[in-house]
Amino acid sequence: MEELKWLVVDFFQAFAAGLLIGGTYGLMCVGLGIIFGVMRVVNFAQGDFMMLGMYVTYYLVTGFGVLAFLGPYAGPVVGAALAGPIVFAIGWLLHRYLLARVTGARVISAEAEGHYAQIIMTLGVALVLANGGLIIFGSQPLSVQTPLSRESWEIGLIFFNQARTIAFILAGACAVLLYLFLTHSDLGKSLRAAADNPIAAAYVGIDVDRCHRLAFGLGVGITAVAGGLIASSQSFQPYIGFDFVIVMYAGVVLGGMGSILGAFWGGLTIGLVQQMSTLILPYQLQNTAIFVVFLLIVFFRPQGMFGRVWERT
Amino acid sequence: MLKIRSLDVAYGGLRALSAISLDVEQGQFVAVIGPNGAGKTTLFKTISGVVEPQSGEITYNGRNLLTLPPNERAQLGIAHVPEGRQVFASMTVMENLEMGAYTSKGRLQRAELLPAIFELFPILAERRSQLAGTLSGGEQQMLAIGRGLASAPELLMLDEPSMGLAPAVVETIFDRIQHIHRNQGLTVLLVEQRAAEALELCDHGYVLETGHMVLEGSHNALIANERVKRAYLGM
Amino acid sequence: MARTAISRQYFAIFAFAALYLCLGWLVRNSYYQLIMTLVLIWATVGLSWNMLSGYSGLISFGHAAFFGLGGYTMTIAFVKFGLTPWAGIPLGILVGIVAGIIIGIPTFRLRGHYFALSMLAYPLAMLYVFEWMGYQEVSLPMKREAPMFYAQFSDQRAYMVLALILLVGCMLVSMHVERSRFGMSLTAIKQNEPAAAAAGINALRWKMLAISLSAAMGAAAGGLYAIVLLVVTPQSMFGGLVSAQALIMALFGGVGVFWGPVIGAAVLVPLAETLNAELGNILPGIQGVVYGIAIIVVILLAPEGIYWRIHDQLVSRRAASRATPPVAEPVGIAPLHAAPKPAPSKDAVLLQLDRVSRAFGGLKAVDEVSLNVRPGSIHGIIGPNGAGKTTLFNVVNGFLAADSGTIKFNGVGLIGLKPHQACAQGIGRTFQVVRAFPRMTVLQNVIVGAYVGARDNAEAEQLAREALDRVGISAARAQAVAGGLPTKQLRLMELARALAPRPQLLLLDETLAGLSHDALEDILTILRRVNRDGVTIVIIEHTMHAMVKLAEHFSVLDHGKLIASGPPAEVVKDPTVIEAYLGKKWVERAQDSVA
Repeated sequence: MEELKWLVVDFFQAFAAGLLIGGTYGLMCVGLGIIFGVMRVVNFAQGDFMMLGMYVTYYLVTGFGVLAFLGPYAGPVVGAALAGPIVFAIGWLLHRYLLARVTGARVISAEAEGHYAQIIMTLGVALVLANGGLIIFGSQPLSVQTPLSRESWEIGLIFFNQARTIAFILAGACAVLLYLFLTHSDLGKSLRAAADNPIAAAYVGIDVDRCHRLAFGLGVGITAVAGGLIASSQSFQPYIGFDFVIVMYAGVVLGGMGSILGAFWGGLTIGLVQQMSTLILPYQLQNTAIFVVFLLIVFFRPQGMFGRVWERT
Repeated sequence: MLKIRSLDVAYGGLRALSAISLDVEQGQFVAVIGPNGAGKTTLFKTISGVVEPQSGEITYNGRNLLTLPPNERAQLGIAHVPEGRQVFASMTVMENLEMGAYTSKGRLQRAELLPAIFELFPILAERRSQLAGTLSGGEQQMLAIGRGLASAPELLMLDEPSMGLAPAVVETIFDRIQHIHRNQGLTVLLVEQRAAEALELCDHGYVLETGHMVLEGSHNALIANERVKRAYLGM
Repeated sequence: MARTAISRQYFAIFAFAALYLCLGWLVRNSYYQLIMTLVLIWATVGLSWNMLSGYSGLISFGHAAFFGLGGYTMTIAFVKFGLTPWAGIPLGILVGIVAGIIIGIPTFRLRGHYFALSMLAYPLAMLYVFEWMGYQEVSLPMKREAPMFYAQFSDQRAYMVLALILLVGCMLVSMHVERSRFGMSLTAIKQNEPAAAAAGINALRWKMLAISLSAAMGAAAGGLYAIVLLVVTPQSMFGGLVSAQALIMALFGGVGVFWGPVIGAAVLVPLAETLNAELGNILPGIQGVVYGIAIIVVILLAPEGIYWRIHDQLVSRRAASRATPPVAEPVGIAPLHAAPKPAPSKDAVLLQLDRVSRAFGGLKAVDEVSLNVRPGSIHGIIGPNGAGKTTLFNVVNGFLAADSGTIKFNGVGLIGLKPHQACAQGIGRTFQVVRAFPRMTVLQNVIVGAYVGARDNAEAEQLAREALDRVGISAARAQAVAGGLPTKQLRLMELARALAPRPQLLLLDETLAGLSHDALEDILTILRRVNRDGVTIVIIEHTMHAMVKLAEHFSVLDHGKLIASGPPAEVVKDPTVIEAYLGKKWVERAQDSVA
């Protein structure tokens, strides 16, 4: 009887952990999802922008201590939030000076697949960021110090890590804000219009190129915030982006490529899968569980669990 | 108002338009007819800036259009209602119209324009919160035209509004277009494969075949033309 | 001519190998010798990537899977079972091929982004699995008693020779693939997969063959790499950088040509290795940065790689210096041994559709359509845009599966057949928007179509020339690249491609669209002639006056339903047809003109 009880507790503990980490994954996925939704480009460097978000947060909070005056509780949170605009600016510039130049360039596929140029370009950016990060930040694993990561709230027999809970709440708030922006502001609607039908969008006076830039900046910025939030409960080094790339792809594909809201649910689900897999699988195979889920979705339901079939005309 | 001179356009090595010249005067209804694939849509895309010409010039109210990106051309008061409707399928009817009013002029006049559009196409008012992708073909076409009108345009460019619609629906749509043209004095440039209807409506017409303007003339001249009769009016 | 081109390539490959060997012999520094070996190995990895992605256009971000499996198989067999690498590497190749097939079967169902992303997942999944199995770092034990037997050489140059042999082998295989039906088919798939399928190419089969070959090359390179470095780690074998490098070598040097990866490796590997050696201590990630920058620069400046950049420049210079006179196009159409058209039999049916339906979501694109096409007839399908005409064609030739109903061709059921199988049955088709293989010549386009009806290349070429002749494209014209042709020529070429395997039935989708009046008349003449030779034609068309002249039978579709069927003269008077398609104005004017 006692055994069964602990089994149930373990289950709910893993579920709670999955939910909490899933919230941040969801936000990460929303970042990648908005880029894919608007630009139709899979950004390979997304994980590395998340890594940048982690380092920005780290330097703001711990490294240079700019935010030290906010104290150990508020500092990391504000740091993560500030990582957003900073990485947004980097993404904006990168799009302006690199990605925007190769729209439609003919690479590999002779026609119709001009996006490959941008995808491969983002692969190049990913290599430069990860390895450049190694040069600049060094390979020493770091983490953002906050007492929250060692404290938990206890509800019943289940522990809720405070840093992760706050990250979850903030991630949810960011996703809601983004959702409101996309559905209620003219600028947000113009982004959706550009995603839906770029040519018709140009005909009604929307600057599609600027929308792409905005989407890219927003996308990497949002993922950077998610990275900043994770940074206080997990140590990181410049290559960490790669570990999260599949988490993000899996979440976005699960949510239905092109669906921004779906991406959040997709990320959340991936968090759950990852944490719950530890109930039956060894710890090292967490990520393999994600791959398996990812491949299963791609093969059996490529339109995603939450999305609709996206057919571009 | 719109003036095109010796325009050449090539698409991936293919010559799509050769030495096209065309004029649209303020308040005129101009039609361009021609078979599928003659280059009509390419002509429109070039005017809107989605396709870049090899050579030639396009001016609008004396202003060189070719140096402007597509979105700025829309801001000048050119509304392009594209072929095959191309509504924002994942957005509601209302959001589509709001996007139509994205131009600075459209934004200012949003309050007056929307009721006028709903009056013109009452079905759109009924369906205002429905996703555009779920509308029927005819309704989508009305929405596309409504979206064009929402920008408070000076020139309305219609690319084959009859495409894929039953003749009865086409009649309604042409009737509405004529209504807008007559009552609001809006300048219209229409591209159509359905020559009979298009020629009936227009003040002035052009015939485009495999990228060349082969004929041009007033309404009466074209209708009486033997070649037009034979090739386009099915006689 | 083809023969001399091949022997020239042979000469070039062996000259390259000899030169490389000489250079390697002159180099004394063992570190530089190692770099020279690595160049060859990475060139092989690049060739492996090129074999699949370069030729077929399906981008793989996961070639590390094959490289890693090859390396780990050899290493584990060596360490655990004492198997010599001479047997371990072939074993690794075998494991690689099996993995390629297992990966290929499900993954080839995917296209574009989904394919690329899935390929990325495989090596990463393997990476974690190998870490979990405890193979974080496996070293090859030194076998001093029999170094030769265990492929352990004190002289670095021995490894270089091995790597060179492997590379030359892969280059020769690639070269032959490029020139064979296999390569042509892959290129056709890359340029336009639906067109290739409709032309009778079994895309899945060729892709499986490509991934097997590709996996074999990758695995061999991985095995050799492990021998040279004497240690494997999951990161160095399955890591993202390995997959990236596979792609970078080909992308930088040139995609779709076997010299590409060789050029890429020859430039990038020494650059990255030297920088790593010189600056690795201060700038630890310099190697990755170099590869990253290489990608960005190549995408910006020469998106198809150095080889093509130089190639295109040479070609345009040569063309400029020669200034070939424009080829005059003969207007005449080859005379035909015109057999009198056999009267279509009243009862015989070539193609029979019985209550065929196909829906997209809630929309019934084709709704319970039944129709019979008599052998030897010209059958017109008309109706407004969006009526389901093209969908009907897609269902007949297997691009789409019917939801219900039966389709019989010569009395044999077509349901369930893939497009290439329908083509093999004798159904050719053209497309509303011409689907050419734009970078092939007209002749090559048509040869691709002829494969399905030919046993070998010579016969395919024979069939292709015959088909070109039938549509009136001259031999000189046939050498032009398809991408630059005017509409009429493209339509004719597509028609020839469909005719090449001598089909019984042609499905023509708006073949007359966008043609001027004169061009239209020419094509009508050709179609009538083709028909007189015994080919049954079903044609979708909007140009009514042409259709009235051409077709013997009309079927009218509207909203997916067949609303009328019969001789043209009757159908155009049918009130439902006028209501749904022709419109009252058309009729008024038609009557006016008669009056």
